[in-house]
Amino acid sequence: MPAVFYPVLVKEMIILAEDKIPTMDEPVDVSEDVAEEEVEIKETFLQKLSRFYWGKNRSSPLTKPLRKWFLLFIGPVTAAFIIGFVWPFVQGIYLSMCKFQLIQDAEFVGFKNYISAFSDASFMRSFWYTALFAIVSLILINVLAFAVAYVLTLGIKGSNLFRTVFFMPNLIGGIVLGYIWSMIFDGILSHFGTSIVQDSTWGFWGLIILMCWQQIGYMMIIYVAGLNAIPEDMLEAAKIDGASGWQSLWRVTIPNMMPSITICTFLSLTNGFKLFDQNLALTNGLPVVMEGGVGISQTEMLALNIYNTFYGSNMSARGTAQAKAVIFFVLVAAIGLAQLAYTRKKEVQQ
Amino acid sequence: MKLKKVLALAMAAAMTGCFFAGCNTTDNGGGSDNSGGGASSTSAGDNGDGENAGGGSVYWLNFKPEADETLQAIAKKYKEEKNVDVKVLTAASGTYDQQLSAEMEKSDAPTLFVVGNPAKAKQWSSYTLDLKDTAVAKELNTDEYNIYDGDKLAAIGYCYECYGIIVNPTLVEQAGHKVDDIKNFETLKTVVEDIHSRASELGFDAFTSCDMDGDSSWRFTGHMANLEYYYEEKEAGSTWTEAPATITGKYLPNFKNLYDLCINNSLTDPKDLATGGHDPANEFKEGKAAFTVQGSWEYSSYAEKVPDAKMIPYYCGVDGEEKAGLNCGTENCWAVNAKASEENQKATLDFMYWCVTDQSASEMLVEAFGIMPFKQAVESTNGFLKDAAALEANGNYVMDWATNYQPNVDEYRKALVSALNAYCADQSEANWDQVKAAFVDGWATQYAAANAG
Amino acid sequence: MKTENKPRKNTDDEMPKAGKLSGEKKRMKALTVVFSIICIVYVLPVLAVLVNSFKLNTYVKTDTFSLPTGEMWAGISNFINGMNAGNYPFWKSALYSLVITLLSTLLIVICTSMAAWYVERVNSLFCKIIYYLCVFSMVVPFQMVMFTLSKTADQLKLNTPWTIPIVYLGFGAGLAIFMFVGFVKSIPIEIEEAAAIDGCGPVRTYFSVVFPMLRPTMISVGILEIMWIWNDYLLPQLVLDVNEYKTIPIHLQYLKGSYGTVDLGATMAIILMSIIPVIVFYLVCQKYIIKGVAAGAVKG
Repeated sequence: MPAVFYPVLVKEMIILAEDKIPTMDEPVDVSEDVAEEEVEIKETFLQKLSRFYWGKNRSSPLTKPLRKWFLLFIGPVTAAFIIGFVWPFVQGIYLSMCKFQLIQDAEFVGFKNYISAFSDASFMRSFWYTALFAIVSLILINVLAFAVAYVLTLGIKGSNLFRTVFFMPNLIGGIVLGYIWSMIFDGILSHFGTSIVQDSTWGFWGLIILMCWQQIGYMMIIYVAGLNAIPEDMLEAAKIDGASGWQSLWRVTIPNMMPSITICTFLSLTNGFKLFDQNLALTNGLPVVMEGGVGISQTEMLALNIYNTFYGSNMSARGTAQAKAVIFFVLVAAIGLAQLAYTRKKEVQQ
Repeated sequence: MKLKKVLALAMAAAMTGCFFAGCNTTDNGGGSDNSGGGASSTSAGDNGDGENAGGGSVYWLNFKPEADETLQAIAKKYKEEKNVDVKVLTAASGTYDQQLSAEMEKSDAPTLFVVGNPAKAKQWSSYTLDLKDTAVAKELNTDEYNIYDGDKLAAIGYCYECYGIIVNPTLVEQAGHKVDDIKNFETLKTVVEDIHSRASELGFDAFTSCDMDGDSSWRFTGHMANLEYYYEEKEAGSTWTEAPATITGKYLPNFKNLYDLCINNSLTDPKDLATGGHDPANEFKEGKAAFTVQGSWEYSSYAEKVPDAKMIPYYCGVDGEEKAGLNCGTENCWAVNAKASEENQKATLDFMYWCVTDQSASEMLVEAFGIMPFKQAVESTNGFLKDAAALEANGNYVMDWATNYQPNVDEYRKALVSALNAYCADQSEANWDQVKAAFVDGWATQYAAANAG
Repeated sequence: MKTENKPRKNTDDEMPKAGKLSGEKKRMKALTVVFSIICIVYVLPVLAVLVNSFKLNTYVKTDTFSLPTGEMWAGISNFINGMNAGNYPFWKSALYSLVITLLSTLLIVICTSMAAWYVERVNSLFCKIIYYLCVFSMVVPFQMVMFTLSKTADQLKLNTPWTIPIVYLGFGAGLAIFMFVGFVKSIPIEIEEAAAIDGCGPVRTYFSVVFPMLRPTMISVGILEIMWIWNDYLLPQLVLDVNEYKTIPIHLQYLKGSYGTVDLGATMAIILMSIIPVIVFYLVCQKYIIKGVAAGAVKG
């Protein structure tokens, strides 16, 4: 799933948490009916249950015939969804508690895999490395993207062209990006007798530079949209009150931009955590350094670590790999929940 | 209205139908069904019956990228002659294990696959058919390259190869030396260093670039590393039959001798080796360098340009190495999938038998693989293998492929390559300690990881 | 969401204080100059690919940033070598990439828009379950299901370019359903009910009434899916029968990882060939792309 898909979810979860399900919104008059018929609690409950089961538009002239067509309308998506998501997900949870080389030989072992995942030095290292990467890239990308968006909305000449150029790297895939940049970095570093796969410092900053190049344009688009949504009169009022450029930026623009900033912050955070293609193509985790007898890939991030555990030469580690994947899923979902909690708190405050 | 409804129903049926269409074909276990999509590649003659009475098919998961072209041709030839489908899939280099486990999961799993060493045979124990007393096993003229899993003949070594240092005698003579004078590390070093110091005057250098990227690094971390394992083995007095839990690294200084000689006397500055981008094979073929390290499987392409190319042992400063021979062995051992259907197993065994008995097929295979140890297979034309045989006949000891026992080979090698890269960039003691750690400690940890639980 | 930035500009022009205006104008000009320079730096990596794709292999690493002049000039040999490198013709990979992207996007847009309409209008318990599962699927990283999904897909023979769209439909349904449901919600049901009372069957109602209204959302969803699927590496690499079918990212990864020496010049030629269509697509559909991205991120 591309990272693009992420923020929408958060809003959805807020709504879920507030028990206001938008798609199943009841028309206001219905709830009033319920209030009126409070005397007959039993029937109301049944009604509620029935509506819950049959849906809100049960008696609509549209939905009655529509139900008969469920195979056409919802059948394909349901079938594909079960094949492409539900079944693999359930099986994945199960396999994380099994020892297996091939699925058909799976043997239940309980939480052993989770223990070996947490005691795997390379996994823990890749976790901290990923966290560091995500935070550094988050700060850099957002500060730069905000600055670019701010300047572009000032109305400088050529801002449309600039926007076009800044967004362009977004359309290039991660693998291609990795190869482009590995050529560039090696072109520079070879003059200093090193290369991107030898020097882990460069491996880290190289990936940061790559991600900035790719993501700034994307975040910029969201910030530009946010900036344009700030009411003109607020800024004008600030100007009339004699606020300087910096003051109106800090006092008016940024507070009004908080929704966009939240979205972009969490978006770059999850992007950082889920990064795979770029990591694979740029350094593939190299260099490997021996630490206490164990070779540790210095620039290997979580997703790549899971992949390498799955498909490396050590096939007996597959259960561990699946356990790592479940931990990874919980981690990414937790970031989503954190975003939900944060955004919700903000919205309550307002 | 009605028509529309019918149409829509048909559409619905088609849409849902396409989800379940695949199910019908899942369990037939054959490699020949093309129901998945419209792009069948080898459909020629699908209708004819020919000799394919059993109806089985062969799916060979090949391990050697260099041989891919030949094997595809073999498959086509077999199809033409016997009308049996042979699918050959070649794993990208360094990804064979991964590919094998991925393919084995599939409904049309490989029927013929390669098991490189006893550890692998143990790992795939339930998937290897006992090949004892099969027609193809009876054709063997030696048992030396076979792999046993307990009493079971798990895999048949269908060819063997050798590697060592390849020399261009003409260039060596141009520099005023003789290949025959190279008898040990000292003499090798003298020649190499002399050529390197006069490289600009001679117009060629001693060694080709010692790239450490992807495939190239295998020549050092796979092949050359073997000398260390081999001498440890030799000292212990018996060849390994399974990977030892630890190695001592006693002969690492000898590995260092030869490795240093290679990287410091080559066309490319050692600092530029990590990312590769050079082409050692062409450098040697074009006469830009007098030495390179490679294996016998490259003979035909080398001999095209350097007909008198010769292979000499890894001289590394070990006592008595004047009696050293080449590194001979194989990772090419055929195993038949015990879980494949009977027809496919039969078809596969027939195909193997054909490969080693059919004159023109074995000719093609011998060309690609070197020597095939079968009674009816044609004799090898491979010059490097002839060098190996000559050395052996002369009473020199053959260095067997102990390198095959590297535990968790990808991870083990990855660490070793990184350490060697760091060492190339800066040949310091500290960096060599890293190499040592990757070589010796890495072995122990990877062995422990591979044999855990 | 508006992405145009004209309104702000107008107000700036209307600023009454003439003295300040000229100072501001100067600053604007300076900013334009600064940004022009940044822009040039920004496109440099792409230019580097262009330049190096005409350079002989051995010079790519040593002279990355010089023009391919004199002995470095490789002509179009890199392109010819690149087309056939790695025992697999590049045009085939490009073709499969195109087929997979178009088929999958089409399937996703049509199937999920129909499903979303049904889910929102019928709204039964089953629909709710499907809907929330879809929403849930959006937080699940691919690594969680990659192993089991590739196995399942193989068993069902979903490993060809013609069938892999079903996997994409399954794994990519989440966002699409979510965006469509959000939009359908905003359409009053009365229009469709009126059509139904007039004797329209559900299928006709969908195609002649709902479909046209959904078009802008379809474009947004389509753009997002195209961007995802075209560049996707891991899913097709694990699901497709890579011996027979490769996509462009897989092709590149194989070039680097296997079959002897890597020809950097040829690799750059292939990269160039694979990003040119993307850039052309971007320049042509820029308006929709930026709109789609903003919608995908901000809408909800």
